Amino acid sequence: MKPLTFTRVISICAALLAVLFVVVVAALKVGAVPISISDLALNLARTIFGRRIEMPSEYRMIVFDIRFPRIVLGMLVGGALSVAGTSFQALLRNPLADPYVLGVSSGGAVGAILSLIFLPRIPLVTPLGAFLGAIATISAVYFLGRRHGQLDSTTLLLAGIISASFLSALISFLVTTLATRDLRGIVFWLMGDLSTPVPDSLHWALLAALLLGIGSIYTTAADLNVITAGEREATHLGVDVTRVKLVVYVSASLLTGIAVSVSGAIGYVGLLVPHAMRMLFGSDYRILIPASAIGGAIAVVAADTLARTVMAPTELPVGAVTAMLGAPFFIYLLRRRLS
Amino acid sequence: MRFVERTIWTALLAMVLSLCAGSSARAQTNPPTPPPGNTDRDAAKAEPRIVTDQVGRRVEVPQPLRRVVSLAPSVTETIYALGAQDLLVGDTDACNYPPAAQKLPKIGGPFTPNLEVIVSLKPDLVVAAANSGNRKETVDALDLLHVPTYSTNAKTVEDVLTSIIELADVLGVGDNGRALADSMRTRLADLHNKLENVTPTRAMFVVWQEPLISIGQDTYIADAMRRAGAESVVMTKQDWPRLSWEEALRLQPEYLVFASAHPDEVTATLNGMRNLPGWRDLKAVTENKIVIISDAVNLPAPRIVDAIEELAKRLHPEVFTDATHGASGGAPAAGAAKQSTEPAQ
Repeated sequence: MKPLTFTRVISICAALLAVLFVVVVAALKVGAVPISISDLALNLARTIFGRRIEMPSEYRMIVFDIRFPRIVLGMLVGGALSVAGTSFQALLRNPLADPYVLGVSSGGAVGAILSLIFLPRIPLVTPLGAFLGAIATISAVYFLGRRHGQLDSTTLLLAGIISASFLSALISFLVTTLATRDLRGIVFWLMGDLSTPVPDSLHWALLAALLLGIGSIYTTAADLNVITAGEREATHLGVDVTRVKLVVYVSASLLTGIAVSVSGAIGYVGLLVPHAMRMLFGSDYRILIPASAIGGAIAVVAADTLARTVMAPTELPVGAVTAMLGAPFFIYLLRRRLS
Repeated sequence: MRFVERTIWTALLAMVLSLCAGSSARAQTNPPTPPPGNTDRDAAKAEPRIVTDQVGRRVEVPQPLRRVVSLAPSVTETIYALGAQDLLVGDTDACNYPPAAQKLPKIGGPFTPNLEVIVSLKPDLVVAAANSGNRKETVDALDLLHVPTYSTNAKTVEDVLTSIIELADVLGVGDNGRALADSMRTRLADLHNKLENVTPTRAMFVVWQEPLISIGQDTYIADAMRRAGAESVVMTKQDWPRLSWEEALRLQPEYLVFASAHPDEVTATLNGMRNLPGWRDLKAVTENKIVIISDAVNLPAPRIVDAIEELAKRLHPEVFTDATHGASGGAPAAGAAKQSTEPAQ
């Protein structure tokens, strides 16, 4: 492994940000309504010089009110899910851990749906409900996944899959029995969907929660490097394992919760991206965490761009796109680990 | 914050410009896309009119109203029936009545309309159907984009009439709306008189065969059946209940009612299922008491009266024979479809 220097971290992040920029520009350009590159440039220039008013109103709406906020949302969700996946993989010492596979996304969805059913009018209650659902699920999966006081990789995955399936059943139950409101939309949202815009204020709240979550996890990055070797070993080396676990589980649940509350269960991003980043940049969590955050943003924006363009004007749920790419990759990782 | 925003946009612009340079050679062969709209198009506008829509939201309707996008087949059908189709600049993939509506620019399906396409059509007003195909999320999204969106909503046939009058008023064709609703009301009253002495037929409306889905009592379809001299046997508050076969067999409806634009397909499907357990145990199937009516009954729109009359004629042909015949052909509503009068086999 190459030694980690500040320059290396900066250059890797810069390179990834450059890729993200290209993806974002492409995502701004393509869509159901074609927009030429020169028009896009002209309108961006107008924005910079504070002359948005000169823009044709439907351009302003399509590019700046529909596409750009959706891209921002995709970046937030992708970053959150990838960092959550990265930290679950470290703490559970399991390369197949991911918020979706572990059932944490479904837990978040149950929390979000309960909050929608019982407290529909209060703002920010949905992300909070999703966060609580996520944290309850990861606690349950963690305890179910232990054998003889030790985390067992297979048991843990099974516990996650069983929890996810139980929670999906619970969602079906809630949606069919408590249909006081029109909940048909929820079924669509559950598949992972970014097509519904959120209010600007929520963007800022999500961004704050994202930075808080990623920041807290990053403070434990050096400790995570040690913990991947084993919790007992880490304790011997002076790592406060309990504190690290608490910080990371709470933060990763927060990240999963906010992602689920706005976009439903987008699967496999938290699995695919951390592995890709590990292959590219090594497994030092001090670089892996920021790289996953940016990589996740790239992945979800790219997947969502596919979701809204391949069948335009009809859209696919972005969760279908990530699952189609992610599930085979999961199998590949599983086979590789077994052999 | 402004500085950060500016930096981001500048960086994006730099990217785009570099792409521009790269693609300029190609751009020469392709004529540049003309800008799709004029910025000062809406310079001279009257004060918007403020109305409350049928789900209780306050909607600012720009005046004069020039461009309307429909998000549901029922809305499209109503707008054509009101003669306001010149306002319509876009509708959904599912809008297939009247046939002319199929030629309008499409904005995707009612459940997953494409916001970009809606906005690109520069609508003054978007009209949604709250209980017939559209999601609340779509209306919320359009609200965020400041696109005025009016939702229709109907739980009974009476609601359909009110809904037509109110929508007509919003679209500036209030007289047409009242005339259309009056003619529908006259036909319904006529039917009511005819059916006064008949016992309602116990019928089950089949929304979907596999799994078996019927309708609840609080739907306009159940109300339409009541007005056609039938009663929906499924007693539930849920709108689209998934019915267990045990319950269906316990209910043993006298008639099964299907709605389809392609009756032959339904007949073919039914023939395929006739010998399956469940279906073969229904008396209505063994006695062939099956009625397929126009799919217009599925939409809270003007043709629902046609569908009601059609169902009434199939279930109670005796009251439509002899002397009263002339009255039933009374002034069909604008946009009314041909009525099939052949009784069921």
